[in-house]
Amino acid sequence: MYLNKEEERIYEGERGWAYQIAMKILVKLGDLYEADKLILIDSAHISGVSYKTIGDTAIEFLEALVKAGAKSKVRSTANPAGIDYNHLEEMVTLPKLHERQARIIELYESMGINPILTCTPYYLRRPREGTHLAWAESSTVIYANSILHSWTNREGGPSALAASLIGKTPNYGVHKSENRRADVLVKVETDLKNEAEFGALGIHVGRILKNEIPSFEGLLHPEENQLKHLGAAMASTGMSSLFYPCTSCPKSSDTLETLSVDTNDLKRAFESLSTTDEAPDMIYIGCPHCSFEEVKQVAQKIRNKKVKDGVKLWVCTSRYVRRKTESYVKIIEAAGGKVISDTCAVVTWLKELGVDVLMTNSAKTAYYAPTMNRVKTIFTSLDECIEAACQE
Amino acid sequence: MREKTLHIVELKGRPIVSGLSRGKALVSKSPLSFLGGVDPETGKVIEKNHDLNGKILANTILCFPHGHGSTVGSYVLYSLVKRGVGPKAIVNETADPVVVVGAVIAGIPMVDKIDVSRIRTGDLVEVDGDKGRVKILERG
Repeated sequence: MYLNKEEERIYEGERGWAYQIAMKILVKLGDLYEADKLILIDSAHISGVSYKTIGDTAIEFLEALVKAGAKSKVRSTANPAGIDYNHLEEMVTLPKLHERQARIIELYESMGINPILTCTPYYLRRPREGTHLAWAESSTVIYANSILHSWTNREGGPSALAASLIGKTPNYGVHKSENRRADVLVKVETDLKNEAEFGALGIHVGRILKNEIPSFEGLLHPEENQLKHLGAAMASTGMSSLFYPCTSCPKSSDTLETLSVDTNDLKRAFESLSTTDEAPDMIYIGCPHCSFEEVKQVAQKIRNKKVKDGVKLWVCTSRYVRRKTESYVKIIEAAGGKVISDTCAVVTWLKELGVDVLMTNSAKTAYYAPTMNRVKTIFTSLDECIEAACQE
Repeated sequence: MREKTLHIVELKGRPIVSGLSRGKALVSKSPLSFLGGVDPETGKVIEKNHDLNGKILANTILCFPHGHGSTVGSYVLYSLVKRGVGPKAIVNETADPVVVVGAVIAGIPMVDKIDVSRIRTGDLVEVDGDKGRVKILERG
């Protein structure tokens, strides 16, 4: 990979260890994927924030970077943590976890990374079409490429952090237009009714495709929120970082391999995401973090209702969207629900909160929670989630 | 008179992370996930049903096909090496981003495109991360 003079000097250590190690990460990955050069990025989004997922080992590396003077070069955001410090009454109460989690947030913040911790940084600021990004978090990556039309590879925590410090990323993968062409035509031969069915479609397609790029046919007037669930689910079971919802694609895809999805495929995928029919202890909405419209929808559905005793209703969103939806938040909280920020059900200590059965409208959560949180799952639509959460 | 070669076998691979390291090989046929697969405190392999289960990584030349799993695995490799319970070098068949980044930040040599079945656990090997060579100096 070609490096200019300035990049070479950083690689040789002229600006200190932190930038040298960041440059080395980018160069080694660039060599591995046969990138020709480094390109400037508009922003970075960093995963590896929750103490539950990263543990003490990452803290040691972050400490070393901060000590060596590491600062972000571009606008940078970060994924949810394990704790919402504004809702401590809802959180696990182990002091060591609180202290370690706070340290992680402090370390990222001291590098200049925005401490609004969310998997939906695009609601805070939508990057312009065609800009290059270095984003981690698979649901965020697939949303950026497919819905925002900005370009990012599926970065990991360390490579996104390195890109944040240097302000550049190696030019390979979907940063090159020749690698952004659709490989497979997915014909959806069933009507999708809600966000949960879009999620189930994503789970099904991701299992079959691995890392190919699908172009969908037959999605009628999908909303961005529904496509968010489709992408998040597809990136969970597969390695996809890009899809084409193709509401306005030219019908020129005759040459592509075709995958047909019918009502039975969708039903099977949908049912595979529930592992129990027991009553839920927690109803969870907000994976990926809710948009303005999604918080509003929950509020409209729960108005004048009351959450059952002994059941938790969590609606997770970014601190930014929470502030923007204050009147809806009040309605949800008056009904007994909680609007939580900076964390989510998957990256917090769910089992330790006494949750055994989790109900959700998120296919991504339903897919991960049995292994990552050791809970049983019920996967259903938002309407049914609210119904199950509330008293008759 | 011909000079005696010092090594038995020299395997040619691809240089990934520079540096020179010598030690006893620990060889696996299975992919390894550092996150969840290795105890970060002790460097012991804890992944169930893994052929290295129970083995200690400390000071070994760790040879395995490739990594898998979470990118947090890179931080685990960093931490293992920093605590002195990590491997001295990595030899892979196919480098993957998790292990590459781990070796970069841990500062240990790494070579890939090596048929790791040519190396046996206990062999004394030397890894040259600049030339992409692995020399087997002594059979274990």
